[in-house]
Amino acid sequence: MYKTTGFISFLFRRVSGVALVLYLFMHIWVIGAANGGAEAFNARMAVLQAPLFRILEVALLTAVIYHGFDGIRLLIVHWFRVTEYRQSLFYAMFVLFVLVSIVGGVPLLLFALEGN
Amino acid sequence: MANHEPTQKATIRVQRFNPDVDPKPYLATFEIDITGDTTILDALELIKGTLDGSLTFRRSCRHAICGSCAMNVNGRNMLVCNRRVNALLDRQGRVTIRPLPYLPIIKDLVVDRSSFWEQYLRVKPWLIPPATNGGPMTGEYHVLPEEVEALKMAETCIMCGACYSACQVVAMNKQYIGPHALLKAFLRVLDPRDAAPAERLANVGGEDGVFRCHTIFNCIDACPKGLDPTFAIETLRKLAQKRQAFEADRLERQKSL
Repeated sequence: MYKTTGFISFLFRRVSGVALVLYLFMHIWVIGAANGGAEAFNARMAVLQAPLFRILEVALLTAVIYHGFDGIRLLIVHWFRVTEYRQSLFYAMFVLFVLVSIVGGVPLLLFALEGN
Repeated sequence: MANHEPTQKATIRVQRFNPDVDPKPYLATFEIDITGDTTILDALELIKGTLDGSLTFRRSCRHAICGSCAMNVNGRNMLVCNRRVNALLDRQGRVTIRPLPYLPIIKDLVVDRSSFWEQYLRVKPWLIPPATNGGPMTGEYHVLPEEVEALKMAETCIMCGACYSACQVVAMNKQYIGPHALLKAFLRVLDPRDAAPAERLANVGGEDGVFRCHTIFNCIDACPKGLDPTFAIETLRKLAQKRQAFEADRLERQKSL
């Protein structure tokens, strides 16, 4: 393993990307229930009200935010070829990711814990 | 060369592997005396000369220009001939030397670089001059200083393999052309004397080329010469999408060579 910030960002990008693809299957499974009418859809949605899924929602949010911000970082590298700022770009992206995750994740988490 | 600095103890851990005897690689530990000037390569030579003659590693020029002695020291690829031991000691006063990662080990610190050279040949690293209709070239090339300047970033590569072996994409996919060869492709594509940039760009823009790069930057971090293969790859990505226009400009440029 060649551990650098580039490698860490790559690892997180891969893991979050695969997680998002897996989420997509689940998403289709839930939305697909709408074909069976309102009741079938409501029944399937009720499954997702379990605390586990509420917590997973926070994980989903962080994965989306990480993957998105890392994508923007890479687009900046591709367009402007600013390879000399690779470390600063990664840290800036990571700070943004953490901040936005807190802003978005804390209300979600509170909502999950309150349970309504 | 006499060195009157006081000596200090250092622990050198070296990854050993003899494929005829050992089931898998293991770390061997050696205690040696070093001075402020002892390089990692000096330490290896000292171990080989005085402690264990069977230690195997590649080295040649000792001036960081032949590219033979690239190894992985404390998790980072580098040339061992121009790095001092005392600057690389970890908290326990140790230095850990391993062969270049992700490549098959032949023995101890010597790795099989076949894939490195095979990928290198794929980009046709030589210059393809303008056609002379079978006759010899007449006159000489006139290359502008700014055109030479643009190539500075790529032309001092010593083919040590540090970038290739640090690349995570190479680790996962040995079909990938690799940062060393793409850097060379960049050098040839941007050389105003080269007559086949479109063919080169089609090659590096293909399945195993620049679009395989995941922009991890390990190649830049590993390069002992401070070169920037990622910049070369990004440039080739842009050019690969307009290679016909680029070649037309090149042919126009070569009329004034």
